[in-house]
Amino acid sequence: MNPIWYLPALLCYGLASARFLFDHTTRAGRRSITATALLGAGVMLQTGNLAVSGVQAGTVPVTNFAQSLAFLAWLTALAGLGLILRFRMAVIGAYVAPIVCVVLTVAAVMMRHGRMVVPEGLRSAWLPVHVTLAFLGYALFVLAAAVSILYLVYEQRLKAKRPLGPADERAPSLEKLDRVNYLLLGWGFVMLSLAIVTGAIWADATWGHFWTWEPQESWSLIIWLLYAALLESRLTVGWRGHRAATLTIAVFTVLVGSFLGVSLVNPGKHGGSFG
Amino acid sequence: MEQTLFIFGVNHRTAAVGVRERLAYADDEIVEALSRLKRRAPSVTESALLSTCNRVEVIAVTADPARAAQEASEFFADDRAVEASAFVPALYRYDARAAARHLFRVASSLDSMVVGEAQILGQMKVAYAQAAAAGSAGLVLHRAFHKAFSVAKRVRKATLVGHGAVSVSSAAVSLAGKIFDTLSDKTVMLMGAGKMAEMTARSLKRLGIESLLITSRTFDNAFALARELGGTAVPFDNYKPYLKLADIVIGSLAVTRPVLTPEEFETVVRERRYRPMFLIDLGVPRNFDERLNTTENVYLYDIDDLSSVVLESREEREREAQKAESIVELEVDSFMKWLEGLDLVPAIKDIRSSIEQLRDGELARHRVWLAGLEPEARQQIEALTRGIVNKLLHRILSGLREGPAADGLYTAEIARRLLSTAGTDAVALPGDGEDDEDL
Repeated sequence: MNPIWYLPALLCYGLASARFLFDHTTRAGRRSITATALLGAGVMLQTGNLAVSGVQAGTVPVTNFAQSLAFLAWLTALAGLGLILRFRMAVIGAYVAPIVCVVLTVAAVMMRHGRMVVPEGLRSAWLPVHVTLAFLGYALFVLAAAVSILYLVYEQRLKAKRPLGPADERAPSLEKLDRVNYLLLGWGFVMLSLAIVTGAIWADATWGHFWTWEPQESWSLIIWLLYAALLESRLTVGWRGHRAATLTIAVFTVLVGSFLGVSLVNPGKHGGSFG
Repeated sequence: MEQTLFIFGVNHRTAAVGVRERLAYADDEIVEALSRLKRRAPSVTESALLSTCNRVEVIAVTADPARAAQEASEFFADDRAVEASAFVPALYRYDARAAARHLFRVASSLDSMVVGEAQILGQMKVAYAQAAAAGSAGLVLHRAFHKAFSVAKRVRKATLVGHGAVSVSSAAVSLAGKIFDTLSDKTVMLMGAGKMAEMTARSLKRLGIESLLITSRTFDNAFALARELGGTAVPFDNYKPYLKLADIVIGSLAVTRPVLTPEEFETVVRERRYRPMFLIDLGVPRNFDERLNTTENVYLYDIDDLSSVVLESREEREREAQKAESIVELEVDSFMKWLEGLDLVPAIKDIRSSIEQLRDGELARHRVWLAGLEPEARQQIEALTRGIVNKLLHRILSGLREGPAADGLYTAEIARRLLSTAGTDAVALPGDGEDDEDL
């Protein structure tokens, strides 16, 4: 598919980002209805793009790195929209929308023309399940990192005793941000676990073994262990608030590093080319 | 000699809490203390005692401020059994105009620890009532206090100064909302049962806080407040184990140094499993070490922080304070004008002429009948009426010159008004006029 078709969605994400950032920094329109609507429009337009690519690919459109990024951007935007509506935290849009915007821009720039098809041997009912779970997990971790950054920003303001302006009126409390962070981490962890399990089952069905220690598998395990430790520290020692936010961001940078590293350097069968 | 206003005392800026505590009087001691002061300080003609947590002041009227200051400080040293060296360096003294300004500023809460808090006005009204009960308030103090109350009211109406203090508790509440999502499952602990702390606790309760712990040096105070607010009193010598239960701690203890070290607090935080804590420090000197703010998930705000959080900017606060100061200045002018015009001589002259007028009026009314009398009889009637007038005047005047000069002024004022035919515009007395609304 011609990457030009991503432009409308990208435009919506761009406008949504601008509006969210404007709302975030000024007193006007704190509920960010326009920005949220723009984000929703972006998601719908991109859903159309993905449907076309999906039909071309014959399954979820993740045939290469660019398509994977676009898919991740879409899931992040979708989950972000859910977060904004469910928890009334419009302010998180100021973080999520720009991330989505950047990721989709990179994807569109890297996107190759023409039809991308998943090889016959990998077409399986497991593919969409495994891929969607994995990427949904990642999307939730993106949101958790965004919420953690917001937590640190707000915490800094409180510690510095900044005057409360009208823009702070609807700002979420630290307790809420911490709770949402925990929820996102928890669900992200569940998704990642299920992705690993479905991946193993699928591998066993296709190649006859669950685990081959290829780079993506090893890194997924490491990431899984890190998130497990993060959740564990909250449940046993009670690490929350500042420490939880910092650690969430730290683990997320490892996740980003591994995602980029594995995808670009040594993709194994998880690469877009399905080599 | 001319009577003037005179203020003498210590406050939160000049004296440490230890000194203020030693000089302070309990409410029920003041009336007696005032009569002791009357005996010990003959140069003081009128007096009132304002004793709060933040200030102990004699508000007095004297003809000789220097002597009055000397006598009053000797009185304090004896009456409170405090060596003079402990408090004399912290004393301030205001005479005449400066005293009026100080009194009005205190009433308007411009001199308060928390500028704009309304409590001081109530305390001042109590001090005035006690002086009235002790019989130590005379014409000048009556006028000065009433004026002070009306100045306070004007300041509160015309400026946002009062806003700042109401907002200390509302700032605390707003901030609590930035830290905590729901308050209904949180616990508040009051350390010290002061008025500000109580106000803040009430605001938090309205927002759903259910669990309230109160500790205070005097267990009875903690217990009484706990009963009133529906909380639990905790003994002061054993409050630390309860600290880990508290999500919000409001400190208003009178202490010389912070009650908790950061190290002690580290343990509390760990025991709480890093759940956030909001420390509100309403004490001066501070109750909590300011380093506690750097502890993980702990947010410490003192009174200054709280008031700076709500009012948009320092400039705005200064602008409002400036407005209040100019109101005070105007009222000081009008009070001083009144005070300086106050004298026995013109009052006596007025009284004399009122009575003379009365006599002249009566004689004029009967002039036809008088004209028909023998000259001798007419002279006798003249002498008779003059005699009555002089006897009456003599009685009034000697009555006025007895006792403290200020009492004389007050009586003269009443006499002048009772006899006046010209109406009542001369001087407002306590008990009438706009100044009364606050009482």
